[in-house]
Amino acid sequence: MPARFSRKVILGLALVLFGTGVFLQIGPGGVTHALAQDSTVIRIAGSTTVLPIVSRAAEQFQTRNSSVRITVNAGGSGVGIHGTGTRRLDVGLASREITSKEKNRYASSRLNTTVIGRDAVACVVSSEIFDSGVRSLSRQQIGDIYLGKITNWKQVGGPDRKIIVIDKEAHRGTRHVFMKYLFGKSNARAPGARLVTGSNNEEQAKIAQSDSAIGMLSIAWINNDVVGIGIREGHQVIKPTLKNVRAGRFPIARNLNLVTAGQPRGVVKQFVNYLLSKEGQVFVEVSGYIPIRSPQLMSQVAGSHSK
Amino acid sequence: MNKHSLFPERGPAFWWTGFTALIAAGTIFILFVSLVIESVPVFKSQGLSFLWGADWFAGEAYGALPMIFGSLMVTGLAVVMVLPFALGSAILTSEFLNGRLRLVVKAAMELLAGVPGIIYGLMGIAVLTVWVRDVFGLIDGNTLFTAGLLLAVMILPTVMTLSEDALRSVPGEFRDTALSLGLTRMEMTLKVVVPQALPGLAGAVFLGLGRAMGETIAVMLVIGGIDRIPQPWFNLFAPGQSIPSKIGREAAEALGFDVQWSALIALGLVLFVMVMTLTSAGNLLLRRAR
Repeated sequence: MPARFSRKVILGLALVLFGTGVFLQIGPGGVTHALAQDSTVIRIAGSTTVLPIVSRAAEQFQTRNSSVRITVNAGGSGVGIHGTGTRRLDVGLASREITSKEKNRYASSRLNTTVIGRDAVACVVSSEIFDSGVRSLSRQQIGDIYLGKITNWKQVGGPDRKIIVIDKEAHRGTRHVFMKYLFGKSNARAPGARLVTGSNNEEQAKIAQSDSAIGMLSIAWINNDVVGIGIREGHQVIKPTLKNVRAGRFPIARNLNLVTAGQPRGVVKQFVNYLLSKEGQVFVEVSGYIPIRSPQLMSQVAGSHSK
Repeated sequence: MNKHSLFPERGPAFWWTGFTALIAAGTIFILFVSLVIESVPVFKSQGLSFLWGADWFAGEAYGALPMIFGSLMVTGLAVVMVLPFALGSAILTSEFLNGRLRLVVKAAMELLAGVPGIIYGLMGIAVLTVWVRDVFGLIDGNTLFTAGLLLAVMILPTVMTLSEDALRSVPGEFRDTALSLGLTRMEMTLKVVVPQALPGLAGAVFLGLGRAMGETIAVMLVIGGIDRIPQPWFNLFAPGQSIPSKIGREAAEALGFDVQWSALIALGLVLFVMVMTLTSAGNLLLRRAR
């Protein structure tokens, strides 16, 4: 018996520990709402890049609309699109565009995207590498690293140390956008990779732990241990800053999307509109991304996701 | 021989227990059948090359070999690493500790056996990967070896406490007789108690092996997640992938859809067959040895 008891206690602890990343059930009295008969549930899951915005907004939205309960889960862009396509989700989160393959697959669901913000994917390295002088790389160099043609930091002006190349799960939005930039193909292979990670948290943690890693990460997730390097184009170095993304200079930019089956309707529409409202856009900004309702950006939103 | 010899008594107890046994056996059967049915599409499109293909890229190719290899490698490693420690501590607890202390050790072990994989996974990613990297001077700590080591730690309590039960269940007369014949305590343990407890010990190891083979999240966080067989193949300090870890990473994206889903189910089938084969092979060997 003691074994079983402890299992429950520790399982509870684990849920608390992982609550932020794996399962967010937000809102005051979420449980009572779950039991209430007349509550409407909005099921949301997908990209861990879009997740911080939506979970913050969901919390606010629920305090205003006590009859609505919102569940927000992680999983990745592919999971968000797949879940919406198969109607297991009301809103999918995607930090990339829906591929034509996915569009065909879920043709009957008539997938619809709503852009709620802009972001960029930076090429990131361990802080040790950045400090040793690797401040920027060209597209060619990053590509060669991912292809396994460049395997030592020495070859690009860094210390004599092997490169730990970190790839992501194939369906992840960040990977699609990054590979599209490097190789012109969102599902390009990366034979030089040593590790494969999933969520932004996981990738961030693995790069921070290493002293010689390279990876791809949304700019909002860059910190002191995981440093975004500049992209070299000719003699010019474009740093991964919000300013450069806003001005359209940084080459690996993307839209942050909400995916719905058809046009959003009912409560879902209310929630989507809330995210697009002036107030909702604040959550985009505080999460470290670029709101679409700032005048400088409206022109770009209509365009494609990478320049 | 009358016709009731197989089931001499058919009261309510017979029907009730029969019913529950049928449910238990039926569950396994249904699981197996549905795994087979759902994995048909991948075998249709890939043929048997699914089993020995070394390349897996969703939407293009599905080869299970790196995952099969990774699973066997980490499980084998875990069992090899856990055996001396589990058996050693089981023998100490069962044969050399007095009643009270023994209960304390047992309780601690049973408590540990109930800790879910995610806790080990978090410890693994926070501590073990860094430790393995620094101790062995590697460029990175996410390796097959790390996964094996973590699994060894995870199954230690299970294997230890079940082994202890097996040793404990050897009747006291065996010990008394051995000691009265002039054997030392150590000789008694190794020559009399352990051989007597062998089936139970093997059962403990197989149960641990089953848990190790099926463990998902802890392995997923430290194995590296790359679908590749290391070069050379016995290089344990290279990243890899196990079957549950692969399924864990891709299942949500493929749920109920397409060849990719079928390929993941087929991986599950392979795992099922592997655990079954190992367990029954172990039982068979054991029966022959006795």
